[in-house]
Amino acid sequence: MNKRILRALAVAACGALTLTACGSGGSSDGSVTLKLVAADYGDQASNSSSRYWEGVATAFEKAHPGITVDVRVINWNEIDSQVKTMIQSGNVPDVLQTGGFADKVADDLLYPAEEVLSPGTRDNLVDSFARAGEVDGVQYGIPFVSSSRVLFYNKDHFAQAGISEPPTTWDELRETAETLAGKVPGVTPYALPLGPEEAQGESLIWELGNGGGYTDADGDYTLDSRPNVETFRWLRDNLVEPGLTYANPATTDRKTAFADFAAGRTAMLNGHPSLLGMAEEGGVDHGVARIPGRSGPLDATLGVADWMMAFRQNGHQEEIRKFLDFAYSKEHTTEFMETYDLMPVTEDTLEELKSGADEDMALFYEVLPDARFYPLGNTTWDAVSARIKRSGGTAVSEDPKKVLGDLQQQAEQIVADQ
Amino acid sequence: MSTHTEPVGPSRPTPPTPPPQDPGGPARRRSGSSLGRLGPLPWIGPAVALIVLVVLWPVYEMARTSFLNISVSGFVRGSAGLDQYRQLFADPDLGSVVVATVVWTAAVVGCTMLVSLALAQLFHQRFPGRRVTRWALIAPWAASVLMTAVGFRWMLDRTAGVLNTLMVDLGLVDGPRDWLGDPATAWPWLMFVAVFVSLPFTTYTLLAGLQTVPDEVYEAARVDGAGPWRTYRLITLPLLRPAALVGIVINLINVFNSFPVIWAMTRGGPDSQTATTTVFMYQLKSDDIGQSAAMSVVNFALVVVMVLVFLRVSRWNKEGA
Repeated sequence: MNKRILRALAVAACGALTLTACGSGGSSDGSVTLKLVAADYGDQASNSSSRYWEGVATAFEKAHPGITVDVRVINWNEIDSQVKTMIQSGNVPDVLQTGGFADKVADDLLYPAEEVLSPGTRDNLVDSFARAGEVDGVQYGIPFVSSSRVLFYNKDHFAQAGISEPPTTWDELRETAETLAGKVPGVTPYALPLGPEEAQGESLIWELGNGGGYTDADGDYTLDSRPNVETFRWLRDNLVEPGLTYANPATTDRKTAFADFAAGRTAMLNGHPSLLGMAEEGGVDHGVARIPGRSGPLDATLGVADWMMAFRQNGHQEEIRKFLDFAYSKEHTTEFMETYDLMPVTEDTLEELKSGADEDMALFYEVLPDARFYPLGNTTWDAVSARIKRSGGTAVSEDPKKVLGDLQQQAEQIVADQ
Repeated sequence: MSTHTEPVGPSRPTPPTPPPQDPGGPARRRSGSSLGRLGPLPWIGPAVALIVLVVLWPVYEMARTSFLNISVSGFVRGSAGLDQYRQLFADPDLGSVVVATVVWTAAVVGCTMLVSLALAQLFHQRFPGRRVTRWALIAPWAASVLMTAVGFRWMLDRTAGVLNTLMVDLGLVDGPRDWLGDPATAWPWLMFVAVFVSLPFTTYTLLAGLQTVPDEVYEAARVDGAGPWRTYRLITLPLLRPAALVGIVINLINVFNSFPVIWAMTRGGPDSQTATTTVFMYQLKSDDIGQSAAMSVVNFALVVVMVLVFLRVSRWNKEGA
């Protein structure tokens, strides 16, 4: 009896050990498994990024026998916390494609870009983006995609309300929204998504419109600067309280706002190029314009780049280089950008797509060179951004000075703790 | 649970005992009293191993993590001492979250017990279709809590929710509302869903309790001329105590720890205004894993204290009675 159970336990233990051994990557015949973790850019199962990455991985494995690529695609809401759990538990990916990189540089987890990219691939990166990937002069973040933001409006709603031109200033935007509220019932005049998904994005767009922003020239946080507080006060008094946007912006995610626009339930919002495709699919007759600022259209809109990074832990430098060179070839980057209407960060693909861009898309390329980014090179940005995502949105329903003041305090605490 | 205490035959999951053909077996068992004492080990061993693996070890890891300094990227930077706890208790949101948790637990468990008591009473009566309705009550229990919560979230959706449409059609509200976006309306809905998913278990527990009350006691009460209300108050309720106690304790723990309902419906938002300590712990995870672990430890301590206090109070009552 005892023996039998001991034997069973031993078998179970061996089984468990064998199973865990599978996760460690290398094996005796010299083959290597690269772990790739990537964010999901799709908005439905049929265009999930896992399809794209599986395709790239299969092609890569065929070209490079001995290397297998284990693809894991995670949605934007979960990817930060899941990657964090992976790092904390020592189950680190080899290659990660997500929104930020600087926090990982602070702990020396990443290979510098030049160690995992061949010179050809590296030279092909657009300069301004490559520079945005630097921390203290060394490039760690490898730009993967970029996008800029413009104002989208529903032409049918505008026609119904008798509005001919999209707004160029905040006051015009409020007047437009008021007219829309009166003449197009059942439609949210302006969609203000300040929910956890991307509160930091919509906030920065509005703050830029008032000469505000997240950091000053020295890179110190200025979350509760006067222009920023004024921005949120304006939003609260002119859009939220009069009911010209969602009742609860702090809990409404960008995803919802995009879906609403694509379904013809909202008349105006700030969006990135993916929304073009969504609006077309939804049969919405849409127009794009520069984003209104307090006194005129924004010169510097929000530019967002997402990043690729390579982790040191598993020591797969050579294999990672092969994979990244492969993934950054024109063929694959073009496919990705076209699937999601995103903007490339490599010279060859950019040239090709820019020349073929239609009128709407041309505006995105036009505003891209002057676009302002998040303070990405700042190693505390990810921690600060997480705080903004959680509570930033409440600044339009409560006292903006207090909400932003609390955030500023937390940011300073994070900087001090570093 | 009851199968463990019954000495008759092994419970289903353990393999049947082989007949004592093995010559070493019985001899060894008799060889010494100290070894003989280890006899039950093979039977309780798996359970003990399971408890160590899935309960004690995670508790240890959780406590250990709460004393670590972990960067936002998840990298362990070394010991943090008591810093995580200090920062946690300095967090301006913590106070309101704890208050919300207490109200949430008390309200949900209270409502669940009251409604369940009524339901159990109803199902204890004989009426046509009783079997079917008893089965139907299992539905909210059989469905995954997460599924139920996600279902309610969509039913309450600002633009497409059927409950919203229904309420507008019935004239209860003048337009579709964003119920879950505003803490004032989100809390009642969250509590409603939490009560909904807690009802089946509690009702069945109380129903089982009702069925253990012997008919003779009621007969005696009738002979003594007690009215229905008096009988209920002095006979049914006291005899229902053990079942009610089990129901309350398990519900207290469940509701206090309830994560899926709130997470699926509001994610604790806006900010942490619809978060209980459990949800708050998960929100902190995106800021700082160490602080999140500290919150877990506090949570764990709260559950233990809560249950101990409750058991204490209820036993004290018993001695007094």
